[in-house]
Amino acid sequence: MGLTKARLKNRLLRARLGGRNLPPLAAANLLALEGLDPEAPASSLSYVVLDLETTGLDPASDRVVSVGAVRLKQGRVRLGERFAELVNPSRAIPPEAIKVHGITPDMLTHARHAGDVFQDFLAYLGRDILVAHYAPFDLHFINLTMKSLYGFPLQNLVLDTVLMCQQALLPSDPYGIAGHAKRCGLDTLAKRFGLPREERHTALGDALLTAMVLQRLLAELEHKGVVKLRQVLSLAGRW
Amino acid sequence: MTEAAFPRVLEFVRKVVPFDTLPAEELEAAVERMEIAYFPRGQVVIEAGGEPAQFLYVIQTGSAKISLPQKEGQELLVDQRGEGEYFGAVSLLQGSRALFRVTAREDLICYLLPGDAFRDLVARYPSLERHFGFGLARNLQAMRTAGQAPAGGLLDGASLDASLVQGRVAEVMTREVLTCLPATPVKAAAHLMMVRRVGSVVVVEESGHPIGILTDSDLRSRVLAYGRSADRPVLEFMSQPVHTLSPESHIFEALLAMSTHGVNHLVVTEQDRVVGLISDHDLRGLTGSSPVTVVRDIEKVASLDDLVLVHKKVDRVLEMLLRQGGSAPTMLALVTEFNDRLTIKLLELVESQMEHGGLGRPPVPYVWMALGSEGRREQTLRTDQDNALIFANLPPERLEAVKTWFLGFAERVVAGLEACGFPRCPGEVMASNPRWCQGERQWQETFLRWIQDPEPLSLRLATIFFDFRGIYAEADFIENLQLKLKEGLEGNRLFLRYMAKNALYNRPPLGFLRQFVVEKSGEHKNKLNLKLSGLTPMVDALRVMSLDLGLTLTNTLERLEAVAQAGLIKPALAADLREAFSFMTILRIGRHLEARARGELPDNFLDPAALSGLQRKMLKESFGVISQLQDLMEYRYQARMVQH
Repeated sequence: MGLTKARLKNRLLRARLGGRNLPPLAAANLLALEGLDPEAPASSLSYVVLDLETTGLDPASDRVVSVGAVRLKQGRVRLGERFAELVNPSRAIPPEAIKVHGITPDMLTHARHAGDVFQDFLAYLGRDILVAHYAPFDLHFINLTMKSLYGFPLQNLVLDTVLMCQQALLPSDPYGIAGHAKRCGLDTLAKRFGLPREERHTALGDALLTAMVLQRLLAELEHKGVVKLRQVLSLAGRW
Repeated sequence: MTEAAFPRVLEFVRKVVPFDTLPAEELEAAVERMEIAYFPRGQVVIEAGGEPAQFLYVIQTGSAKISLPQKEGQELLVDQRGEGEYFGAVSLLQGSRALFRVTAREDLICYLLPGDAFRDLVARYPSLERHFGFGLARNLQAMRTAGQAPAGGLLDGASLDASLVQGRVAEVMTREVLTCLPATPVKAAAHLMMVRRVGSVVVVEESGHPIGILTDSDLRSRVLAYGRSADRPVLEFMSQPVHTLSPESHIFEALLAMSTHGVNHLVVTEQDRVVGLISDHDLRGLTGSSPVTVVRDIEKVASLDDLVLVHKKVDRVLEMLLRQGGSAPTMLALVTEFNDRLTIKLLELVESQMEHGGLGRPPVPYVWMALGSEGRREQTLRTDQDNALIFANLPPERLEAVKTWFLGFAERVVAGLEACGFPRCPGEVMASNPRWCQGERQWQETFLRWIQDPEPLSLRLATIFFDFRGIYAEADFIENLQLKLKEGLEGNRLFLRYMAKNALYNRPPLGFLRQFVVEKSGEHKNKLNLKLSGLTPMVDALRVMSLDLGLTLTNTLERLEAVAQAGLIKPALAADLREAFSFMTILRIGRHLEARARGELPDNFLDPAALSGLQRKMLKESFGVISQLQDLMEYRYQARMVQH
């Protein structure tokens, strides 16, 4: 989805909410699209790259247990500007999920609940463009909390690295990325770009890897003449 | 959080020299400040003369090329940096404009440490200050004193310095070159030289291509002395061919060319056009530790004690050249040139000593022979002596007296060489050994016996002696011996097969998974022998092939060239082997100089862990191609099949 459409929806939302007295974070999020220039080079912008670990893969019933994010600004991943926190999912974690992310119920005894963690994350996110690998999954959980807290979904622009990969890489990798036909898994991409994979399956580790993938994809797109934010959004924007 | 946020980044940075000296909490704080950047291959990361660097760049993946931009888009390669190495430090600490251009040689991922965090660490940790301060001082000094020799100091592995710009022919050559056409009358040329107050005129074709040179001394010796007509064209009197080199050549290459060709002038050309002239006079203007002055000092020496002193300068010159990025063939050629000149000087000194001591002049003509690495012109610094002496054939009644004279002579020369820092050969392969101080015919017989009856000892000796070369020759004994050796090898394939089998004894130390195989215990635990397991297998294999082809060459790279020409080795493998040989040689010279600077005895053992990522990669590749050469030789000579 393009910036114009996002702005239109944002305007409609603001009109609907009218002069209602909103909490400061919610009010700030309504302004997330301000100041974005669709003609700006995508590589010059600020992105927050997110990864969530959850109790499972069913968006309807599962919940977040860990949030990890790093910022990519002017093409560089800022290791110090990160967000990493465990989240109490208020429900049991199935053993299969523990095997994936290694987060046990013990580790969550002092963890905060989703709403509290999310507010801090929102403050950290600011007006940056949110990026995730297969973004609808992460966006679903974010909006779940966002809506329960403020009654409307996240207003930031969202980019999906899976879409970027399909648009930017697949056409030039006729046999699939690193030999995997039509697959854009994070591991596959890491292999294709020769990126380190040892820190995977912690939310922060995956967020870092996704950020480094984003770094490469932006360079790859730029090489193909897809330079401006407007162009990148039309390829890989999510709502 | 108890665990580091990015354990893998921390792990990586912890191993980067000199950050490995920092305490854990400092490293974690540094990682907090770091950024990760990606530069596609070919992208310029830092531009020479551009803004000062904002970060210290630590390479996580890929490699970077450090270069000096030249005019017309050319670049001068100064250095390469690989994984686990850094760049940008000089400009960061100095706050000055970047001295060099840094380009991504491969897709490059870097950890960036912001300038303020870096400067803060350098200010608080003496280990970092020493490391970077040292490198900085070296780089800057090298830049400032371009054209002069830097003071001695430790070498930083085989990492080459900024001073690549030093000592180029373009800096000392004469740019105002007088030229004339071949048909010009000598009279006119001489007049031109007088008017323009120059000592030579370059004779060029109409296209500008130089074909000869006419100098003052040509005029004197060829025109005036014989009373020839001054109306004749210069074509008849000029010296030819002209020896040319490019303005980018090192000054020491000019010196080498002059001494090799025995000329005093070289024409400097660019795309076949004359752009300058360089004479021994231009080189005389240089002072200090330049190769030129050292050679001149050797020439001037009048006593053995002085010779020893002069030779101490040689190390300094070599160290300087290594830093200037001298290529392996040039470095080796220069070491050979120094050592040859020194040996010849020593022979002269000892001859006159003998004469003044009442023992007389050499009774018959002789040849002083270099063997082994010296014979191949591949000596790095001062390796063990390997030499021998051939004297003219004699009637039996004179033999003993003459041999006694030469043995006494050789003993003094060997002692002199020892005083100059060339240790005696532990295997007694020296001219002072009666076995290796023989008449011409005995030498020929010895060689033939080894070929006809190969046994372990003679095969080992053959690897040393068959790389023979005359350093000082009063007769054509070397040429005759080469001929006899060639005849003896013709139709004697068995000897070559034995030699090939022996040459397989040393193998490059690469394991099944391409990891380095190092010594498991003892003094050199975890190290590998660069000479024995890298250079020797290559030298040995090329010796076998070169003897097989009846070549009289001894230099390994020349042998490689000829063997490839003959089609025994494919051009691609030959090119890789040349690279491998050069790389290992430079690494070895660097190691020797480092050891010398620390006051240790140089050895050939190398700790792969102490190499940079890029160096390790190149060393592995080098070993790989040498294995290919061995396989090829094993197949060609069916070497496994011969039995002792």
